[in-house]
Amino acid sequence: MPPNSRPGDAVFANVERVNAELFTLTYGAIVRQLLTDFEEVDEVNKQLDTMGYNIGIRLIDDFLAKANITRCSDFRETAETIAKVGFKMFLGVTGSVANWNADGTECSLILDDNPLVDFVELPETCQGLYYCNILCGVIRGALEMVSMRTEVKFVKDILRGDDAYEMRLKLLEQVPEEYPYKDDD
Amino acid sequence: MIGVGRTKQHVNVVDRPLGKGKVEVSLSAFSFLFSELVQYSQTRVDNIAELERRLEDAGAGVGLRTLELLCHREKGNRRETRLLGILSFVHSTVWKCLFGKVADSLEKGTEHEDEYMISEKELLVNRFISVPKDMGAFNCGAFVAGVVKGVLDGAGFPARVTAHFVAVEGQARPRTTILIKFAEEVLQREARLG
Amino acid sequence: MQQAVGAGPGSSTRMRCLYMFNRQGVCVHYHVWLRPLNALSRQEDQKLMFGLLFSLKSFTAKMDPVGGSKGQLGAAQLQGQGCSFHSFRTNTYKLSFMETPTGMKIVLVTDQKMGDLREALKHIYSNIYVEYVVKNPLYTPEMPFKCELFNLNLDNYVKNLT
Repeated sequence: MPPNSRPGDAVFANVERVNAELFTLTYGAIVRQLLTDFEEVDEVNKQLDTMGYNIGIRLIDDFLAKANITRCSDFRETAETIAKVGFKMFLGVTGSVANWNADGTECSLILDDNPLVDFVELPETCQGLYYCNILCGVIRGALEMVSMRTEVKFVKDILRGDDAYEMRLKLLEQVPEEYPYKDDD
Repeated sequence: MIGVGRTKQHVNVVDRPLGKGKVEVSLSAFSFLFSELVQYSQTRVDNIAELERRLEDAGAGVGLRTLELLCHREKGNRRETRLLGILSFVHSTVWKCLFGKVADSLEKGTEHEDEYMISEKELLVNRFISVPKDMGAFNCGAFVAGVVKGVLDGAGFPARVTAHFVAVEGQARPRTTILIKFAEEVLQREARLG
Repeated sequence: MQQAVGAGPGSSTRMRCLYMFNRQGVCVHYHVWLRPLNALSRQEDQKLMFGLLFSLKSFTAKMDPVGGSKGQLGAAQLQGQGCSFHSFRTNTYKLSFMETPTGMKIVLVTDQKMGDLREALKHIYSNIYVEYVVKNPLYTPEMPFKCELFNLNLDNYVKNLT
């Protein structure tokens, strides 16, 4: 495939990059710390989602500043932008969007490949872990900052024996801007 | 990393070929992840020393695995056995792999025989940081100190490793020095090897 | 309350002050270069500025004669959406404004002869705020910030604006 044939490629080519192993191993260190701090795997899944959310509400500004995109006209375009530009710009991999519901508010984001999971094998004790759950939080946090309240969760995970990494993305509501102060305060 | 056209199926990690270390992610992705490690760690500690300790622990895990990875990939499953060899391995090979460049300098401490210093004008983890006054001498380089410690411990050179800001004349920003203080046994062994 | 605030060393004499408001209307950053006249307390001043921006933005959108956002007629706007103003000029100062899709409002007040600052505001957002505030590991999102690297780079950048 020629370079720049996909929208995210040019963006990724223009941002400063680091060796993915530093990223992968650092993520591994974070997951290990969480597994020590919270013994329950479910709790770790939750914590990863929260950490992702905290990242998402910051990362969105970097995305808007660097990705050179225009405002998405609808949620379909938003999902495509996450898959084709968002994943590529940050993780260097391109995702795809599939399985839309009838009213265009729910879809799947699919990754074949994902730099978070290199070197990873889930041990017996962590079978309930969604190792990449941080990604769900990132997407939820980022979208919330552009006025979309969403629900994001993993439905397939290669580490758990599935054939892809698949997140289900559901738009709950668009939140309009309101004057934040009451007249008398 | 497995090439295009592989079947989408989970292959046991030990059966997968080891990557060549050429795959990249954006610096932002790493910076945000690292920031969140710092933010999360702050919620689990009471003071700066504990915060640095947690970052060091996370770094040590990265260092140990980097050692295994690089010994396998770059050195045909051999590792350094001499002090200067391992220091130069950290300063060059490890740095190049993780941070994309050789470290700015590697020096021997002038006051103590067992001390060595690796310095970097702008450490990757300090690139975007402004440390508020109330956090004193806190240095995110503790993570990198942990990486160095992980490599050294894993290679049989136990050491105490710490990160420090050092003011540079004529520069607004200080550089970071990673101070390595080897355990006594390491120096004794080194002396025996002659 | 009057307090003379002089320009910092090396800063432009054309800059007056900068405000940054988050999507909740909290002033997360206020930077002053030259502002000898302070009629209000800091808090009142910031709230008034936010109210001015908010109202002006909705008034300008309501008065839009051709209206790019027909479907949204009567509906509340999403942050950063629709038509908005980017500056106004009085006989003594110029106010330049931008809003990001994340709802951050950036306001740069300068002398009245200053040129178009739209690109400059974009630069401040993309290359200074995002780099040295958003990516600062010690910055708490949504909270007022004090970042040495942000100030350093901002001061340096605005020096040459015309």
